[in-house]
Amino acid sequence: MGDPSATGNHRTRSIRRRSWVLIVLLTLLGLGVFFSPLLGTVQIPAVTVLRILLFRASGGALFPDPCAGAAVPASGCAGLIEIVWDARLSEIMLAVVVGAALGISGGTLQGVFRNPLADPFLLGLSSGGTLGTAVVVVFRVGVGEQNLLLPLFAFVGAIATGAVILAAARSRFGSVETLLLTGVALSSFLSAVLSLLLLYSPSGSLQVDFWLLGNLGSLDWSQDGIAFGVVLIAGALLATYGRELNLLQLGSDVAQSLGVDARRVRVRLILLASIATAAAVAFTGIIGFVGLVSPHVVRRVAGNDYRVVLPGAALVGAGFLLAARDLSLAVFPGTLLPIGIFTSFAGAPFFAYLLFRRRQVSTMGGA
Amino acid sequence: MTGGADTALRLASVTVRYGERTALQDVDLEVPRGQFLALAGPNGSGKTTLLRAALGFAVPGVGHLELFGDDVQTLSVVERARRVAWVPQDESPRDDVPVLDYVLYGRYAHLGWLEGEGREDRDAATRALRAVDLLDRADDGILSISGGERQRAILARALVQEAPLVLLDEPTSHLDIAYQIDFLTRVQDLSRERGVTVVAALHDLNLAARYADRIVVLSRGRRVADGAPTAVLSEELLARVWGVVADLRRDPRTGAPYLLPHHLVAAGAAVPGAFLGRGPVHVVAGGGSGAPYLRALTEAGYRVTAGALHLLDSDLEAAEGLGALTAVEVPFAPLGEEVRSKLRTLLDAATAVVVAPFPVGPSNLPNLEEAARCLGRIPILLVRRPAGVEWDFTGGQAHALEERLRLGGAREISDVGEMLAALAPSSGSPPS
Repeated sequence: MGDPSATGNHRTRSIRRRSWVLIVLLTLLGLGVFFSPLLGTVQIPAVTVLRILLFRASGGALFPDPCAGAAVPASGCAGLIEIVWDARLSEIMLAVVVGAALGISGGTLQGVFRNPLADPFLLGLSSGGTLGTAVVVVFRVGVGEQNLLLPLFAFVGAIATGAVILAAARSRFGSVETLLLTGVALSSFLSAVLSLLLLYSPSGSLQVDFWLLGNLGSLDWSQDGIAFGVVLIAGALLATYGRELNLLQLGSDVAQSLGVDARRVRVRLILLASIATAAAVAFTGIIGFVGLVSPHVVRRVAGNDYRVVLPGAALVGAGFLLAARDLSLAVFPGTLLPIGIFTSFAGAPFFAYLLFRRRQVSTMGGA
Repeated sequence: MTGGADTALRLASVTVRYGERTALQDVDLEVPRGQFLALAGPNGSGKTTLLRAALGFAVPGVGHLELFGDDVQTLSVVERARRVAWVPQDESPRDDVPVLDYVLYGRYAHLGWLEGEGREDRDAATRALRAVDLLDRADDGILSISGGERQRAILARALVQEAPLVLLDEPTSHLDIAYQIDFLTRVQDLSRERGVTVVAALHDLNLAARYADRIVVLSRGRRVADGAPTAVLSEELLARVWGVVADLRRDPRTGAPYLLPHHLVAAGAAVPGAFLGRGPVHVVAGGGSGAPYLRALTEAGYRVTAGALHLLDSDLEAAEGLGALTAVEVPFAPLGEEVRSKLRTLLDAATAVVVAPFPVGPSNLPNLEEAARCLGRIPILLVRRPAGVEWDFTGGQAHALEERLRLGGAREISDVGEMLAALAPSSGSPPS
């Protein structure tokens, strides 16, 4: 039978290390969520913000008068509570949910296409989803039920784009480069259609940049709830496919010989990634590069095991978007800029770096 | 575990087509449990297609294929993975993961949904890593180990899959000779000790003959030979299927037959992919006198033959090193009739003869006699002998033969350069 303890110990150690990474990421994210409400478009003393948070979180048990000592506006303490809890925290939670959705979708797509450059934004899923939501808004589909219709139409747009990408990937020209170029072309095309739609919209007052650059503003808790629910379910399902994604990295045939129904798993994963992306972009518009960057960060720290990469990418993506929001408020106090500007500032150079490194590796022969 | 069938793999008139091309044509094959079968055949003969059909990847247009009694197409992907493991020819991992994790991938078909690898799985991986001698590399990255070690890691992955049938597709083609032997020895042990059925596509016929219980030869999608290595390997088979002229020998230690390939079947014969080199040029030599001429000819693109030579002669070593076909006699013995007739065959095929300045004794005098018979038919180039060196140990017979060659039209040359100039097509035929 032999003595497996030698490798058994190493194994345990590496599992411990991976779980440790996830726990650290989760803790950091929790701290981020707790302290992010300190930043906002209105100046509120930090102590008051924290008091309000604890007051609401404890159901009123702690700090019965959270506004004590602060300059209370005309609307009274209730106005401050509304700003901190309903505006800021819902905005923050949306950043977390959307970031997590984009992160885990990016990790999934990179695994499915065996391509470190895949990302819901670069492959056009985000544009497709946003176009779907724009249709709802511009043509005033089902006014009053938009909280349900937005994600639904976003999903239709995203999954249609995903189907095109999948078809391109399956065709005999489905090389990595072809796939990316198809995605980029699709993404540009869909963005153009989106711009056109918004510019000539009957309602006339829509801002193109709101959709194309991503935005966390103007929402409420019910939107958070829908996005949160969909992303949680899709994300949890995606996270169960870590093992299959590990095997798919060996190529479809090898994965199949080891027992993975490669085709079926691929279709499911793209479907789930489209759902998660759609839920994310339905309320925020296009936010680029979160899905590209996040999985790489996890890989660097915790290795290539997708069982860790997927949940890790969700946590890093959430943190990334939250950091983008906070940075935006810290650098330009008083206004919340479209958040996609910040993610693109960080993500585009990173994309170039990956592309450069990849080119280098392939020139070296990849023996 | 997989039914009581005694046949691991059964193909019944299987035909597989890729578009217009027929990759397998009406192949019948039964592989009993526990056998180590080698699939041989030239490139494109259908070896890989047969393996892919057994894995369920290539669907037969006609006929059907059974794994342990069940049609492979009716088995689920997981059930297939439990019955048959695959070691592909060229698996190049993209991501660096620990070798142990890589091996544990083989457990997938045995794990339930969301079930993590348990102690049993890790034990299996440990045993497999020990069996391929990689236990100390378990924590290293799969991309950081050598190609030979990676191939062994993939074999270990196939082992933990615990499938009763293992398919190997040219598993040793990227390995150096030591790793080839090491790898196939392990596969052979696996087959013998654990009763695992092995079907391996192998380029190298000699390795196949040495390790496999049975060799099946495919040619253009058809099964053209089948049986024990000693029954299957023959000079005729190599000439017919591969278009290569070879000597069949027997390894004195293992008793396994092996083929010593020499050159391609004569140009013009309808052999696919025949080499369109020049020659062959036959070099009559001995005592190391011919080696420079053999090398120069080979480098200039000529196919060369040599002989007759005695074993242990350094010219023989040079000739074999260059892949030249030779007629060989045991040391110091006079040329036997068999060797002499082989020499004649070589001379008949030659387009020119080069006579190197070799010392001539009674045992190799027939070389000059046979060369002289070529006069008038093909050009003969006679290398001038250095002055003052004794070379005729036949009491004048050799001198007389060389004189006959000169008078008969043989052209005298002084060195390698003159030889190549004389053979060059533009220089025209030497006087005859």
